[in-house]
Amino acid sequence: MSLPESMSRVVIVGGKNRLEETVNALFKVGAIHLIDYINDSDEGLSIGAPLPFSSKASERLLKIRAATKDLGIDAAKAEFEPFSLDDIKARISSGEVETVEKTVFDAIEERNRIAQRITESELKAQSLEDLSKLPLKLEDYSGYESLTVIVGTVKDDCSEQLAQVPNAEFFISAPDKKSVPVVAVFVANSDKDKASAVLSEHGFTEMAVPAGTGAPADMLASVKQEIEEAKAALEAVNVRIADLAEKHGSFLVASDEELSDEVSRGEVPLRIATTEYSYVIDAWVPTAKTSQVEKGLKDILGEGVYMEVQETRSRKMHDEEAAEPRFKKTPTKWKNGKYAKRYEYPVSLVSVPKYQELDPSLLVGIFFPLFFGFMVGDLGYAIPFIVLGAYGIKVAKSKDFQAIATVLFFGGIWAAIFGTFFFGEMLGMHFVGPGDELQHTWESLLGVTLPEWFTGAMIGGHGISKIGEEYIGFLLKLTVYIGIVHILISYFVGLYNATIQHGFKDAMHHKGGWIFSTVGIVLLCYAITQVMFSGNPLEGMLLYLLIAGVVCIVIGVVLGWPAEGAQAVLELPGIVGNILSYTRLAAIGMSKAGMALAFNYIALIMLAGIGSTGGSSIVGIIFGALVFLIGHLMIWVLAILSAGLHGLRLQYVESMNKFFDGGGVEYAPLKTRFKHIIKTAKMETEV
Amino acid sequence: MDIGLIAIGAGLAVGLTGLGAGLAEKDVGAAAVGAITEDVSLFGKAMVLMVLPETIVIFGLVVAILAAFVLPGMI
Repeated sequence: MSLPESMSRVVIVGGKNRLEETVNALFKVGAIHLIDYINDSDEGLSIGAPLPFSSKASERLLKIRAATKDLGIDAAKAEFEPFSLDDIKARISSGEVETVEKTVFDAIEERNRIAQRITESELKAQSLEDLSKLPLKLEDYSGYESLTVIVGTVKDDCSEQLAQVPNAEFFISAPDKKSVPVVAVFVANSDKDKASAVLSEHGFTEMAVPAGTGAPADMLASVKQEIEEAKAALEAVNVRIADLAEKHGSFLVASDEELSDEVSRGEVPLRIATTEYSYVIDAWVPTAKTSQVEKGLKDILGEGVYMEVQETRSRKMHDEEAAEPRFKKTPTKWKNGKYAKRYEYPVSLVSVPKYQELDPSLLVGIFFPLFFGFMVGDLGYAIPFIVLGAYGIKVAKSKDFQAIATVLFFGGIWAAIFGTFFFGEMLGMHFVGPGDELQHTWESLLGVTLPEWFTGAMIGGHGISKIGEEYIGFLLKLTVYIGIVHILISYFVGLYNATIQHGFKDAMHHKGGWIFSTVGIVLLCYAITQVMFSGNPLEGMLLYLLIAGVVCIVIGVVLGWPAEGAQAVLELPGIVGNILSYTRLAAIGMSKAGMALAFNYIALIMLAGIGSTGGSSIVGIIFGALVFLIGHLMIWVLAILSAGLHGLRLQYVESMNKFFDGGGVEYAPLKTRFKHIIKTAKMETEV
Repeated sequence: MDIGLIAIGAGLAVGLTGLGAGLAEKDVGAAAVGAITEDVSLFGKAMVLMVLPETIVIFGLVVAILAAFVLPGMI
């Protein structure tokens, strides 16, 4: 558990003629979190103008992005050959971006043209196919002065109604199962409306007759030929586009990075204040690095730059509230070791910690895998978790999968420890014990006696059964105690946070009251359950515990009242709820053990005829093995979901709710972030 | 007879609380999915809200376990 790194606010001043150099120096130093300048906050200052190269760079970036999208390149997924920075810069300035964009644009344009042609030809082929059902040639449909030709499809046969229309001649194809009838009506101009009226009653859809001569069927053949040719051409263009993606992919990805970097440099002046001849930059710098930053800037810019530390922000909320609006929020720079760092992501899913509070990553890192392991609690499921987790940590790229793999790996280790020594269980069966028809053990199944040193390491020499009647009470109590410890730790963290933010007196009102109330509720409930369920009389020790509990609750409510008001009383049952919520640790283990028991029972009957009168058969063995495999795989997958989500929930809801405010701004220094570009040695003087 | 009633009681405790939690989570879940589609960064907060009602089932479960394992000893 550590507070985010201490931050100092600095101001950097220099001559405007060296702004570009300064921006480059800020990027090289790589530890400056810029504070955006808000226009009009001071007289005589105004927002700067972008650096001269930035408009060209944005224009090129736009082209690069368009080409990347057209070629379907995904920079995050594929592997690309790395570029050296000098190389990519030289290629960009020689105009390669424009050439590549032109080539890509031409290819895409051609693909669109061909695709358009195919669509048109297919429509034409469709009409020709319909028309070939009528005994007419294409030239018959046009060239009349006093006749109107109406061609299209109708929903049902309407020859009788059409026959009623005066001065009309019509052709209609016989309806079949696959298509609707095609109709062509030749009607005197004067009776056009009557024919249209009849047709529209029968769901008429007009169709364009393709220009041409001869039978529609003949033309159809040539149109189909055209489509085939166009499709071949499309294929060729697609191959060309894929080649382009292959050829220019690395260049596009690398130049995207370089140009993005240039654009972000170019736009820095838009975030700072300038006068006619000078610039003023406000920024946050980690306190430990201020002198290094100053030295770094002086090394690059000489005496032309002046930096001064304005303040080192304390953790008191009062200081934040008293600050000028744009200096209020101090960025949070996570400060975690290698292990806790892995849990920053799950914390940031709720919120980034604020500058003035402890970062819960380590607490989550300790308890989340522990709870996960306790809920799984089975050596047989733990091993695949460890293997999968280790593999995931090694290969996973995205933050989500890294976080999941981390939990699976460390949770798996805990599951192996709990599974072996606490529950003494593998794949839902205990290692030790005589076993019976319903519940086998590995010893009874394999007909061996496990060595003393192994069984002796387990609790009671055999482990705790998750669904054994005699242990359920114990497991429930154990999980409740785990809950009490976890919740009290959370409240103490909250007390610490409130103390550094508001001082000890306020902290006692806000969090101290809850600590007393929690302890009081625990004592009270312990005494009550002893009396109610164990049948002990209310006297002696129990009576004192009961009284102590009530006293603690009263102290808690009185302490909490100034800060929380009626909440201090209304939320008391909530404490019971929070603590009982930890019984899910036992309940989920129980449900998994129950399912495993059922699958093992069914599978073993089928596999070897164990437990039933019949012997085994080939079919029995195959189906038994299938039930065993699928059943345990299902439990294993469910374990990720249930143990993972419930473990996380206990962190988020029961624990972090007690002390974590969040709402911090992540520390984001000006820095060049290249993935595919190899930095040359001389550009790195980062402090 | 009494054992049968206890078993029914335990079943009702889990079943009805499960139903209650399901009804509550139905609405929260739909809203949460909607919110996450708009802004993925809301996942953490949505999850906290999503799992709140599910504590009811845990209470039901505790009651059921007590009923199933503690009560038979008392009769």
